[in-house]
Amino acid sequence: MKRTLLGATLVLAALLAFGPGAVQAQTVIYAAGADPDSLDPPNAESNPSEAVNRMIYENLVKFDAKLNLVPGLAERWEQAPDGLSWTFFLRKGVSFHDGTPFNAEAVKYFVERMLGPEKPSRAALYTPFVESVTVVDPYTVRMNLKTPFAFFLNNLAHSASGIGSPAAHKALGKDIARKPVGTGPFKFVEWVHGDHLTLARNDAYWGGKPKLEKIVIKTVKEDAARVMMLQSGDAHLAVRLPAEDIPRLEKDARLQLDSTETLRVLYVGFNCQKKPFSDVRVRQAFNLATDRDSIVRNLYRGRALPASNIVAPRTTGYVPLPAHPYDPEKAKKLLAEAGYPNGLKARFISPMGRYPKDYEMAQALQQQWKQAGIEVSLGTMEWAAYLAATRKPVDQTDVEIFLLGWAPSSAEARWILYPLYHSDQWVPKGNNRIFYANKEFDDYVDKLTKATVQAERDKHLKLAQEVLHREVPQIPILVTKETIGYTKKLKGVINSPLELTYFDQNTHLEK
Amino acid sequence: MIRYVVKRLMMLVPVLFGVTLVSFSLLQIVPGDPAVLLAGEDANPEFIEAVRKEYGFDQPLHVQYLRFVARAVQGDFGISIRNREPVIRLLLQRFSFTVQLSFLSILIAAAIGLVAGVVSATRQYSLFDHASMVGALLGISMPIFWLGLLLMLVFSVHLRWFPAGGSGELRHLILPAIALGAASAAVIARMTRASMLEVIRQDYIRTARANGLRETVVIYKHALKNAMIPVITVFGLEFGYMLGGAVLTETVFSLPGVGRLMVEGIFQRDYAVVQGAMLLVATTFVLVNLLTDIAYALFDPKIRYE
Repeated sequence: MKRTLLGATLVLAALLAFGPGAVQAQTVIYAAGADPDSLDPPNAESNPSEAVNRMIYENLVKFDAKLNLVPGLAERWEQAPDGLSWTFFLRKGVSFHDGTPFNAEAVKYFVERMLGPEKPSRAALYTPFVESVTVVDPYTVRMNLKTPFAFFLNNLAHSASGIGSPAAHKALGKDIARKPVGTGPFKFVEWVHGDHLTLARNDAYWGGKPKLEKIVIKTVKEDAARVMMLQSGDAHLAVRLPAEDIPRLEKDARLQLDSTETLRVLYVGFNCQKKPFSDVRVRQAFNLATDRDSIVRNLYRGRALPASNIVAPRTTGYVPLPAHPYDPEKAKKLLAEAGYPNGLKARFISPMGRYPKDYEMAQALQQQWKQAGIEVSLGTMEWAAYLAATRKPVDQTDVEIFLLGWAPSSAEARWILYPLYHSDQWVPKGNNRIFYANKEFDDYVDKLTKATVQAERDKHLKLAQEVLHREVPQIPILVTKETIGYTKKLKGVINSPLELTYFDQNTHLEK
Repeated sequence: MIRYVVKRLMMLVPVLFGVTLVSFSLLQIVPGDPAVLLAGEDANPEFIEAVRKEYGFDQPLHVQYLRFVARAVQGDFGISIRNREPVIRLLLQRFSFTVQLSFLSILIAAAIGLVAGVVSATRQYSLFDHASMVGALLGISMPIFWLGLLLMLVFSVHLRWFPAGGSGELRHLILPAIALGAASAAVIARMTRASMLEVIRQDYIRTARANGLRETVVIYKHALKNAMIPVITVFGLEFGYMLGGAVLTETVFSLPGVGRLMVEGIFQRDYAVVQGAMLLVATTFVLVNLLTDIAYALFDPKIRYE
């Protein structure tokens, strides 16, 4: 017994002597909040996957830090005057990580995969618009559209449009999801699910040899653990920092904190086909009884922006609209006009932990609405059940008021206005969970979609957003901010408003 | 003995069958659709249909169940709906990790628990006895996630002795093993103390002392061996639970074990993963119990299995 104890003590002492191992010079450890799911861009549905995919894959058109569209694998492009075809002139001398050359055939293969029987989860970025793809010459490719689409380039810049090696997809099929092959600055090395994912530098990268040699992305679900890894130096970068820890971390001289305003708006939705929510005065009453400033100040400590529009300010196509006032007295008056002089009762549901402080916000709303005589019972469900509950068709749903968030992953306003509000998008077909139907609004959305001239597009974008501002079928509450932290030695981190944190060939660690 | 072991192993079949039936039914009762969940907020209905078809969720329930059982018998547990990895690979990866953590934890728990228990019993009502029993009470009452975060704060953030998270090397496992083993150490210490106190008062101990044997021989050879039966029971149970995955410890320290695999699988409605993990955990638990029973015979020759 004594001998074993002595042995154990020696082992412990030896372990202590080494301490946290010295890491390779240009290796970065990135603490993510969740495991990625698919590493196949057309099938990737979560932010952790998209962030990794942005490093492995590249698109024809890229978003810059301000979400402007800039050349990616296509050096330039032309739109036909009728808006029915787009021609892309590709970068030469690019190859995939497996050696397959990148050319017009690879683009054609990718787009046809999106249109084909495999039905990737993001196929809807292509199927409604693209008729066919033509290879003009080895480095020129033309996409022929069924109908003009004002935001077509945004769909090409979407994370799902990262182009993978056709050879790898032919060999692996859907299993490409765990053995990704792209053209990006970093290539896939290994993935131990639930633990870590490793990327290595692509020495042959066309944009110059990347400065980082290795990226290890660790899955660290627990918020407190991510914060501690950052403080102890076990991670160079951590995402999704909890609001409570931010003031303390800001005081740490070794760390750089970066809060980015995202495109995500948290909102409250009503079943617009059901009484009393079918009455715009009732919805307005909820809106007037909502004190956004108090929520942003007290609950989010200023790390959010009050929203008056379901479209967040950094979204392409955003139209500034007057702030919604907070006026519980006027809310009461509107309720009385609508036939509820003694207030009303309703059911309200919110997810818990899906978005920052979602349930706490729902509790605050419940209190605020009470001032206007609105009594809501507040319920929650875990996420899978919540999604299922808010996807039931209009004749089966028992949801009255719900809380949800939406961020357009193509960074443009139509990806909000159409799926959330157009009358042909009622769940379960689309994502109009509120059963909103307004012919005037539908018409504006249809027109802005097909616009080939920007002025035409912008005019209808404005009209559509004004309708929503007036009718408040859902009440936008706030725009979220995403805070990441990293060691000051790490330079060139990209913290995109699309809630993606990733690196490119210029990211590096200073000595 | 061999016949006994074979008989016990045969009992695994109905147990595992029951486990598949229960886990399958529970997953069906819980609301939520794996395909809808995978598609997220901005779901595309065609994709949802395609996923349902690919994974067979569009089939009647009994067909789904029988298909699962038929494949499982052949060692095929399907693929994860999340990352398309074969479930069997995920299970092996995660289980090998859980085994490492469990061994280290139970080692720490046994070392601390046995020493504290024996010393407390031989010096009943001494300062050490009181101190170690208070320590045991703390060990049982401290929530694992709290202890884990505290250990991390002290030893990773302030002292920088151990890493705050991650896996792959032994040094990553020390803090989690302490956090996970603390409660077991406490239970083992209390059980050892109680059992030793009973044995020490037996006639044969007095006889051994009267024969002039050294006190250490009396305590460790004659008393401890006989006091081990209830301790082994506790030991087996604790080890069985550890091998079933330690979701809190794994979450706090970001470790890829079976516990997190199963819990995350439930939240993601990853049916294949949950069912596979349930089978694995049930099998392990049954086997650990069997080993515990065999261990009784080693410590107490009076126990024989016919």
